[in-house]
Amino acid sequence: MAEKVKKQKAKKSKNPELKNRKKRKYRYRKPVNWLFLLILITAFQVFCAAQILLNGGEELVKSTIYIVFGAYIIAEWVYFIVFAGVFGRKSFEVELIAFFLSGISLALTASVYPGKAYTQLIAIFLGMGVFIVLIWILSDIDRVIKLRIPVAIASIAALVFTLIFAKNINGARNWIIIGHGLMSIQTSELVKIAFVFVGAATLENLQTTKKLTKYIIFSVAVIGLLFVMKDFGTALIFFVTFVVIAFLRSGDIKTLFLIFAGALMGGIGVLTFKPYVANRFASYRHIWEYADDKGYQQVRLLIYSVSGGLFGLGLGNGKLRYVYAATEDLAFGMVCEEFGMIIAFTVLLTFVALVVYSIRYSVAARSSFYSIAACAASTLLLFQAALHVFGATDLLPWTGVTLPFISRGGSSMMCCWGLVALIKAIDVKTYKRYDKVIGK
Amino acid sequence: MKTLSRRAWVLYLLVIAFVCGAGILLYTFFSNADSWAMKRTNRHIYKSGVLSTAGTITDRSDKILAQTVDGKRVYNESKNVRIATLHIVGDSQGYISTGVQTAYNDDLTGYNLVDGIYTLKKYGKGSDIKLTIDAELCNTAYEALGKNKGTVGVYNYKTGELLCVVSKPSYDIANKPVESINNDKTGEFDGVYLNRFFSGVYTPGSTFKIITSACAIDNIADIDSQSFKCSGEYHVGGGSVKCMSKHGTVNFEKSLNVSCNSAFADIAVQLGAEKLTATTTALGFGNGIRIGNITTARSRFDLSEASDLDIGWAGVGQYTTRVNPCHMLTIIGAIANGGSSPAPYFVDSIISPSGDTTFSASTALMPPMFTNSTAEKLQKMLRSNVVNYYGDGKFSGLKMCGKTGTAEVSSEEGGKSPHAWFAGYSQREDLPLAIVVVVENGGGGSSVAIPVASKTMQKAAKLFG
Repeated sequence: MAEKVKKQKAKKSKNPELKNRKKRKYRYRKPVNWLFLLILITAFQVFCAAQILLNGGEELVKSTIYIVFGAYIIAEWVYFIVFAGVFGRKSFEVELIAFFLSGISLALTASVYPGKAYTQLIAIFLGMGVFIVLIWILSDIDRVIKLRIPVAIASIAALVFTLIFAKNINGARNWIIIGHGLMSIQTSELVKIAFVFVGAATLENLQTTKKLTKYIIFSVAVIGLLFVMKDFGTALIFFVTFVVIAFLRSGDIKTLFLIFAGALMGGIGVLTFKPYVANRFASYRHIWEYADDKGYQQVRLLIYSVSGGLFGLGLGNGKLRYVYAATEDLAFGMVCEEFGMIIAFTVLLTFVALVVYSIRYSVAARSSFYSIAACAASTLLLFQAALHVFGATDLLPWTGVTLPFISRGGSSMMCCWGLVALIKAIDVKTYKRYDKVIGK
Repeated sequence: MKTLSRRAWVLYLLVIAFVCGAGILLYTFFSNADSWAMKRTNRHIYKSGVLSTAGTITDRSDKILAQTVDGKRVYNESKNVRIATLHIVGDSQGYISTGVQTAYNDDLTGYNLVDGIYTLKKYGKGSDIKLTIDAELCNTAYEALGKNKGTVGVYNYKTGELLCVVSKPSYDIANKPVESINNDKTGEFDGVYLNRFFSGVYTPGSTFKIITSACAIDNIADIDSQSFKCSGEYHVGGGSVKCMSKHGTVNFEKSLNVSCNSAFADIAVQLGAEKLTATTTALGFGNGIRIGNITTARSRFDLSEASDLDIGWAGVGQYTTRVNPCHMLTIIGAIANGGSSPAPYFVDSIISPSGDTTFSASTALMPPMFTNSTAEKLQKMLRSNVVNYYGDGKFSGLKMCGKTGTAEVSSEEGGKSPHAWFAGYSQREDLPLAIVVVVENGGGGSSVAIPVASKTMQKAAKLFG
């Protein structure tokens, strides 16, 4: 594939106009100027750190901010220097988005819970680790195929284990606490990567129905377990991801309608026979009537989101932060209030960009695995962002899912970096060097 | 690969759905920002539900009516001024919804969508608001109401500036009698949070005869040559419209002077439901008046199920008709101004913390209510009322025109005595002011409402004449 691109470039130079018109679809995409964007992002992060120092209370340990932001910015630059310089990668769109969003999450955490800034920083580093390792794993399609069954089994096992030993946090049994609160893991987050990975890998080489059936069984098991955990938001995310993967695999709209109709009826059934589930949605579109009750968090989110205006009040000047679980459930509102609506909606656009990126690159992917994985991973992120943002603002029923990258939390941070690794893998240029090695 | 990438295009549907959702979200943010940011749970602006940081409110002569000092709202030093201007200034907890502190809280706190509440953070307050209201005049009007509940409104019928808006009962905002208001059994504080001038509606009684007259002038060609026989009641449709006394034979002008119910019931029946409804619709019945950030209560005139007897009663301002005092003021102002009233306003200017004038009021005409000739005819008749009936001496030196009303109230409104009304204006070139007075359950219009109107207008003449 890389050679093809080179050939095109060569042909282009002979008769650029003609080639340009005919082969527009396959034209060489010029990567964005990552150095310029990286400088911008770094400046933004320095600005965030300065604001935290400026607006922080007396209890703020200033050295924490210096260390955390210093380490983060250094890590960013080291990553770019290593992969651009040593590995010769040219495009970094996905990483830029991931670093931008992670930076916001680090700033929010450091500002609201200075004591937890290190934890969040480590979570980002772990995420970067997941990203780098996953990209290496994905470089070899045979390795991917080999891994898919063990990953599927491990996923189910992890969820079952969670269900049995999990601690009930906020009404959903989906947390595992290790070592008396030393570390808490939300297994469903890690399973997200596995779900896309297994889904895309199973559908490599357009298999027999038997293999597809296996994948359907796997999906039903995962979604079913989440339902038992009462983690409906995540179950819905998995369901939509499943539909996307199934569609990309089969291209059959009729089947999709059947799936949706079935799910809808199932959903209605659940709501009818389990009134406590329906009760969760009682305040939907009526949050102002439940302003001090079920709609408490959402009402505050709306009030403080518009208080921030277009440019925000500055990190540390917000009031939404004092509302329960603001850095997780209300992350979008916090960005609106403290960073302003322009940045908040830019954040939403980055999720759109990831999907568009995946769609545009799917035509030139090395195999259907990469296409499906990238498209599924990016739509998963987009859908989760939609559930978070539109749910918290009462446009959709509120499920309490986190905003990818932005919401505080280690498991979800690692999950997001893992998912963007799946997106990154679609770009053949990622493996240019590997190809060269293999080619030789 | 090709098929797969074609399928991937379907994912654009998801992207479009998401972008649409974000667009809708942005739209709801933009359209609701003001009301959301001003919610009492917004701790940027309110401290335990009380407006804590806001700009200064001054009257037309720059007397400070409300300001923030060290994070606390402080009001005028005079208790009487505080009480008289309570409803126009409003409270800091939003009980008085039409008060400036509530209706203009986004300006006072400096909120706007672009900067959010950033101005508030930077300057510690928002914009200052200068009112067209005169605190002294309000004081006089409030005292003139005496022990009665009611409302007085004065505006300039050339410019629309409201000079006096008082509503009674009131209380001293600096020492709010919370206990007395909450455990009020005597009715002393009935509707204390209501600005009766903007939000009240009353049976208009005989002041409505102005409107019946206007309709008659427009629709009955020989109205001036008609004569009416009053025997103390007017029989129609198996019942009768009672009159205050036996006026004998009266012509049109005289019948308005003496406020003869028999004559006006007759005129109303002659006009019929359709024409009366057309006139009231043209006058703005059924719609509130938009005054800056507030809207007045809607006046009501509904003859859709009225019998002839009902129409007779409606013609003299009874039946189900209700009129908002501010609306009545604009009607009387329209007559004074030759057919259309300037839109009333009470905010003169808004000055941002950085010293820029962000809003400056200007005169705008409301849709015409009367033709010029009808207005002139009504001017003569209203002047005739004062000269020939109430006595010019009651408004010495003011050249007043006007009409009283004594509105019988049904038991459901809880009063035995009728509401006393006066609506009128001064013809003096240097005193283009119109006034409306409603004294709840005060008794007769000329005995109760005229003295209130007179005292207020004399004070206005001293201040502005």
